[in-house]
Amino acid sequence: MTTLDWIVLFGWLAFLVSYGLWRGRGSNSVNQFLLAGKTMPWYAMGLSIMATQASAITFISTTGQAYVDGMRFVQFYFGLPVAMVLLSATAVPIFHRAKVYTAYEYLEQRFDSKTRSLVTIIFLIGRGLGAGIALAAPSIVMSVVLGWPYYMTTIIMGGLIILYTTMGGIKAVTYADVQQMMMIMGALILALVIAIWKLPHDVSFLDAVKIAGAAGRLNAVDTHFNLNDRYNLWSGLIGSTFLMLAYFGTDQSQVQRYLTGKSIGQSRLGLLLNAMAKVPIQFFILFIGAMVFVFFVFERPPLLFQPVELKRLEQTAQFRALEGRYRQALDQRETAARKVKDGGPGDDFRAAQQRVNAVRDEAGKLSQDSDTNYIFLSFVTRYLPRGLVGLILGVIFTAAMSASSGEINSLATVTMIDVYQRHFHRQGSDRHFLLASRVATVFWGIYAVAFANFAQGFGALIEAVNQVGSLFYGSMLGVFVVAFFMKRAGGTAAFWGVLAGQATTFAVARFTPIAYLWYNLIGCVVVLVVAWTITTVSRRSSLVA
Amino acid sequence: MADEPQFSETIPEKVILDEPPPFLGTWPRVYRFVLIVLALVIFLAWLFTKHYAPPA
Repeated sequence: MTTLDWIVLFGWLAFLVSYGLWRGRGSNSVNQFLLAGKTMPWYAMGLSIMATQASAITFISTTGQAYVDGMRFVQFYFGLPVAMVLLSATAVPIFHRAKVYTAYEYLEQRFDSKTRSLVTIIFLIGRGLGAGIALAAPSIVMSVVLGWPYYMTTIIMGGLIILYTTMGGIKAVTYADVQQMMMIMGALILALVIAIWKLPHDVSFLDAVKIAGAAGRLNAVDTHFNLNDRYNLWSGLIGSTFLMLAYFGTDQSQVQRYLTGKSIGQSRLGLLLNAMAKVPIQFFILFIGAMVFVFFVFERPPLLFQPVELKRLEQTAQFRALEGRYRQALDQRETAARKVKDGGPGDDFRAAQQRVNAVRDEAGKLSQDSDTNYIFLSFVTRYLPRGLVGLILGVIFTAAMSASSGEINSLATVTMIDVYQRHFHRQGSDRHFLLASRVATVFWGIYAVAFANFAQGFGALIEAVNQVGSLFYGSMLGVFVVAFFMKRAGGTAAFWGVLAGQATTFAVARFTPIAYLWYNLIGCVVVLVVAWTITTVSRRSSLVA
Repeated sequence: MADEPQFSETIPEKVILDEPPPFLGTWPRVYRFVLIVLALVIFLAWLFTKHYAPPA
């Protein structure tokens, strides 16, 4: 990092926070603070939804994942447009007409207070864990890359989030997200252009694509059905649709975004913008990872991308022996890649790639950190021009802040509306509840920083909690489907349905190898079956009586 | 302080607009358009995969 990079990084951070504060000025009522007075245009909502979902770790990991495993992760997003259409047709008009601040408030209008309270608790647990992780995971990576102490990274990120989220509310969060999303796309386009531009002069863009394909890195669609396989066309279209329905339809961090819309139509357009853009954007990000892979076919990569672990292990004889084998495998791979470029068969190239993978796997076992998250950052810090390095690191920094601020804002909203106002302080002035919203925001911000520091030593926990959403979303989605479509179902049926759905999801996660995307479908179906059964049995009993 | 505006759990009364979309006339047509684009994107991604896939 040069002085120019530091200036750009801090300049970008200062600009984004100031811009958020400026746009969030005038948030001096609860309606303004939590829902931006319902004045948001569709493009701001759409970009903000995308920015919240694209956390820094997704951004860093996705490119690394394509480098290691190819582009098949794109299938995870195939269900998103389907979910956006279904929600635009159902949830958006229902929530708008219910005139609610939170999705869970609607559950009391439709069922009863116990169902609302149960789902509120499920949300606070699930999203509470998620908020800490959204801060922890990128902080670990950024502290390594920037050479900062971990606690300092989380405190700087958390402090800035608390500042603009507490002052400007959802309007500050949304408008900061808009800038953030545009900068992410600009930075990614530049990264791709540079990855291609830095290839050897005799390797064209089409040659690079051919080499990536020969290495199996362009495997965007896999049509084989396998319940235990995380990413294929079917888990994407079915499992992911349920996950996205649950995430965008029942998670307050997303519902709150489209409740800020000035009309039902604006909210729908915001969601549909996400529907149209998300799959191509993810394809593009993964494609960058594939091109970075080709770049490193011709530019010798380190055996490990994690700089601290690399430095530590380079002192050991075992690692140095691996480096010797690695150099040999890399030379063979480069020679074979040139044959692929010239139209030769890819067998030698794939065999050489397997040798490279084998050595990297052995080195990975010696390392104490996952290497995938450092691949793209290693490319950025070593090969991008001065200034751009600072900009991309700044963008990643603020991507983490964007995801966390949305989550903290939604946790504060639910705490204020569904817990404090509902159970502890029914009546009060608008000013009182605005203060309560701000206090709740500060509380959740401090909690996220504390959790991130606590979670640092538990790498496996971070991996596990990343999938935590799917443990809770199925039953949350189920109860909203019951609310929208099972007109005769009452609060008791919904309440027991949620409990049964939750218990089943935990059991499936604990005792079966079924991939996590399917938990959403399973949890949702159990809620529907239990709610329908209770409704039918109680109707028959009342008819008999 | 008695005349301070009170907080209401229900959002202040406002006309809920459900206007037609800015293009294609009706919302169901817009939804169909989005799903057709998705099908097209998946098909293109599948062709891309097939074209560049290494031999089995």
